[in-house]
Amino acid sequence: MSHDYESRWVYRAKWTYLLSVVGVLMLPVLYTLWISFNANGFGAAEYDFTVFWYVELFKNAEIRTSLAWTVLIAAIVVAITVPMGVMAAKFYQRTRFKVPFVFLMLSPLFVPADVTAAALLVYFKNLNRLVEGLIGVELFDLSLWTAVAGQITWCLPYAFVVILVTMGRFRPEQTEAARTCGADAWQAFWQVEFPQIRPGVFSAGAFVTILSFNEYVRTNFLKGGFDTFPTYLVSYMLNTGMTPEVYAMAGLVSLVSMAAIGLVLVVALRRRIG
Amino acid sequence: MFRSFNAGGTAPARRSLWQVIVDDHGPGRIVLWIPLVFMVAFFLIPLALTLVWSVFERTMFWMEPGFTLAAYQDFFGSGRVDSFLNSVKSAAVTVAVAFILGFPIAVFVRRSVPAHAQHQAVLLFILPFMISEVIRLFALRPVLGRNGIVNDLLMSIGLVDEPISALLFTPTSVVIGEVLSFLPFMVFCGFLAMEAVPDYVFELCDDIGSGLVVTLRRVIIPLAAPGIFAAAIFIFVNSLGLFLVPDLLGGPGAANAGTLVVNAIAALDFPLAMAIAAIMVTMMVALLLIGHWLFDLTKLLEPFR
Repeated sequence: MSHDYESRWVYRAKWTYLLSVVGVLMLPVLYTLWISFNANGFGAAEYDFTVFWYVELFKNAEIRTSLAWTVLIAAIVVAITVPMGVMAAKFYQRTRFKVPFVFLMLSPLFVPADVTAAALLVYFKNLNRLVEGLIGVELFDLSLWTAVAGQITWCLPYAFVVILVTMGRFRPEQTEAARTCGADAWQAFWQVEFPQIRPGVFSAGAFVTILSFNEYVRTNFLKGGFDTFPTYLVSYMLNTGMTPEVYAMAGLVSLVSMAAIGLVLVVALRRRIG
Repeated sequence: MFRSFNAGGTAPARRSLWQVIVDDHGPGRIVLWIPLVFMVAFFLIPLALTLVWSVFERTMFWMEPGFTLAAYQDFFGSGRVDSFLNSVKSAAVTVAVAFILGFPIAVFVRRSVPAHAQHQAVLLFILPFMISEVIRLFALRPVLGRNGIVNDLLMSIGLVDEPISALLFTPTSVVIGEVLSFLPFMVFCGFLAMEAVPDYVFELCDDIGSGLVVTLRRVIIPLAAPGIFAAAIFIFVNSLGLFLVPDLLGGPGAANAGTLVVNAIAALDFPLAMAIAAIMVTMMVALLLIGHWLFDLTKLLEPFR
């Protein structure tokens, strides 16, 4: 259905343009993925399919450790951010100051990552000195937790928006009905509303997993003495240049993201069919 | 309220600790404040404090409270301000290119795609966004390089005789990297702004036979202005700030404001880093305020009300 005064061909041309823009945005990623499976690396005349470079990756103990850190951080960030997204959406529904609240929640998207990260780095260093002076414990020393805090400021806006949009489809009359029948606020939320917003919560979780898994700038500034997979990848790449291992690492990150997106799509489709 | 109704006037039943917590007036309400407190503590306050830290005295490895404009003098009195202004220019070019390439997509999706498929069409642009920023930028190297896929293609169709080396490690490649990173936001924000416009407005334009240019200039762009402006600020500030783009794609010496911050921190010059951060934050707030004053950006939040 195009609108009345438009020819079919113009309509098709526009779709072609839209899809080719998406294609151009995806092309570099798919191209590196393709190279990563070539036994001869980038620019070779022959293409021999192999998973050799991927196997090599997992033989490297440093890479395995960095992957473990990445997974650990992602798990913690998801476990904290998703409930916080629900709380933020609930808070938004109740507060009178909706516009300032939304501005605050979405503003991390509008500040470049390195500015936020640098500000947080100096903030944590100062807090650490302050707290150490007061109680003698280095509570805010750069560590897993500072990296987690930095990532949450980045992931929370997305979780908030996804959950808020899903909550918008929930009819508040149902909560009122539950309350009239004697349910307390928690029961009305957990037994009536939550089952209906679960898809949104699930997608927010997947979303946050991907964002956390891919996060580089903030983690690089705020991590303690460990490497996550993206920080390891970048330092490796800047040190050794574009080796086949780098392509395999990049391919691995892309594959993980694509698998997560695929999972979300499959779950969404199954729900629609079922 | 309902609880007292249920109790029916008899002596209230003993309630468990959990029931006390989740009561309408119980301490459970405080939980909803957690995200707000978190964002204030770990986002708003650190960014606001950059202004304070930027006037601190620099010491050998750190800084100490004081008032000095040395960091600002250092910034404005050196080559840094030139890099900064250069990156302002390239960020402005990025915004213009993203608008030209991305905004027609938003218009097309809103006007021509069937209503039930509009959101799915826009969501297509989330796909590239879900791949790591680092990977997408890094992946441009083999694409734009001298023996990359673009040059191969141009040579094989005979458009050029020898590979164009201006495509990688130049200011051009920085703009390409920025456009490819941030283009989806122009589509999202443009669509979000136009979603609030009822269909009959477009139908009316068709019926009175106003041409494409007039419709765009007098109807669509004014209606979508808040979205375009929000996307423009987003793209501008991020192009200015994201050090990864010049780092991975720029040539030697390529720098934007983000690079300056990162380099200052690497040199342990924290007041300078904070001064540049403060300049960026101030710039963003000023742009947002101007946009709000001109276009009322809260219109964009209409779907959330």
